[in-house]
Amino acid sequence: MTPTVSASGLSLRYGGTRALDDVSLRLTGGVTGLLGPNGAGKTTLLRVLATARPADRGAFTVLGHDPGTTRGRQEVRRRLGYLPQTPGLHPDFTAFEFVDYVAILKELTDRGARHREVRRVLDEVGLADVRGKRIRKLSGGMRQRVALAAALVGDPGFLVLDEPTVGLDPEQRMRFRELIARAGEGRTVLLSTHQTEDVAMLCHRVLVMAGGRLRFEGTPAELTARAAGRVWSSAERDPDAKAGWRTGTGTFRNVGDPPDGADLLEPTLEDGYLLTLDGAGAEVAA
Amino acid sequence: MPGLRIELAVAVARTLPWGVVGAAGAAGLLIAALSRTTGEAGDWLALPLLRAAILAFAMGLVFLLDDPARHTTSTVPTPRPVRTVLRVALVAPAVAAWWTVALLLVPSDIRPPVAALTLEAGAAFVLAVAGAVAVVRFSDLTRPGPPVAAGLLTTALLALLFWPGRWALFVPVEDDRWAAAHDRWAVLLAGAVVAGVVWATEPVRRWSLRRAGPR
Repeated sequence: MTPTVSASGLSLRYGGTRALDDVSLRLTGGVTGLLGPNGAGKTTLLRVLATARPADRGAFTVLGHDPGTTRGRQEVRRRLGYLPQTPGLHPDFTAFEFVDYVAILKELTDRGARHREVRRVLDEVGLADVRGKRIRKLSGGMRQRVALAAALVGDPGFLVLDEPTVGLDPEQRMRFRELIARAGEGRTVLLSTHQTEDVAMLCHRVLVMAGGRLRFEGTPAELTARAAGRVWSSAERDPDAKAGWRTGTGTFRNVGDPPDGADLLEPTLEDGYLLTLDGAGAEVAA
Repeated sequence: MPGLRIELAVAVARTLPWGVVGAAGAAGLLIAALSRTTGEAGDWLALPLLRAAILAFAMGLVFLLDDPARHTTSTVPTPRPVRTVLRVALVAPAVAAWWTVALLLVPSDIRPPVAALTLEAGAAFVLAVAGAVAVVRFSDLTRPGPPVAAGLLTTALLALLFWPGRWALFVPVEDDRWAAAHDRWAVLLAGAVVAGVVWATEPVRRWSLRRAGPR
């Protein structure tokens, strides 16, 4: 399958900090999750791939175009949807007006077709009923959906979503997951998140970043399998565990290298993620 | 695509911070109008009042590039320089009208030389916008206005107090250095225009001293 995104050797420094360190990846259709702790370089990678900022080194193509040239970047941006980590909106615009404004900036020339497209994406994110409402009067979850509609307008082939479920309540998060799953049908979505449940529920591929480097690339099942035989239950917190916490049943769930005869548990994606971070030298919060 | 250009201009016009620009303009006009109430002192007060009015309005223009949706629209195909130029173009007629009114508020018999003062105003306004352009280029701030306003005010005050006499900019009309000062204002204006244009571009590559070899 031809990859939507193909990147090799992407590197970027902020002063003395290596935000991206020789990152190479290939993304194909469907939803790919990007996991990593704070400061891992997730947002930087997303911003580079979304052409919001150039890398110091390395090269990549999106849908066959090279964003390293002015013309190539223009072509990529015509096929790209980007939802930043903190999507700002114009509060005095209505939801319709704002998405229409973004559609104009995305060069949707025909007014009638553009308005139909704006109505379509607002409908898709479940905001058809409030499209005439000023953004300042919408809830946080609704504003997030306006921003998602703005990213979706123009039917982009590559959608970049930077922690879209942060700050949403469980119901809103579930609703957002539905939207992202639908958005991943027929296009490539790169989803950065702290929520391993998001990845488990939505993604066919997962990337794990730490310290600016890619530490894992594979399926969620493969990431989960990394923790097979390395999760166990005990009455007390095992001091040798990489991470351990008391569960609702009062026993401790430990992740790491189990002692002989340990009561092994079925691993989760989160366990695999924690062990991957630990292997990368990243801090594992228990 | 003329239809789209008009729609783009209308949409961008709605995103401009008209309130803060209008407030700064009103403050500037009030300052300029003070020259009508100063009696005989107006002869020497008209120039500093007009300069203060220019500074007040420039303080409003630094907010021109404030855009809460900056990051949401950072990867659209309409390039950032186009949107920046559009913002400047949309506000330019208002700036010209404001300056005309500010000059007319000063009685004609005490009004300083219009061409020279227009040069000062032009340089101040372009510097203000160039400062905002620089902040947009080199930071992720969605509201470059506040830091640039603070910087502009501080720079203006420091320049008034400590600017070397041989490179004087703020000289009275009767001063021998008036013509030379306005040569310097012209250089300042040209420098600000060049800097603004250079900083308004959106590079596809990131250049640094550490960089070596092709990307």
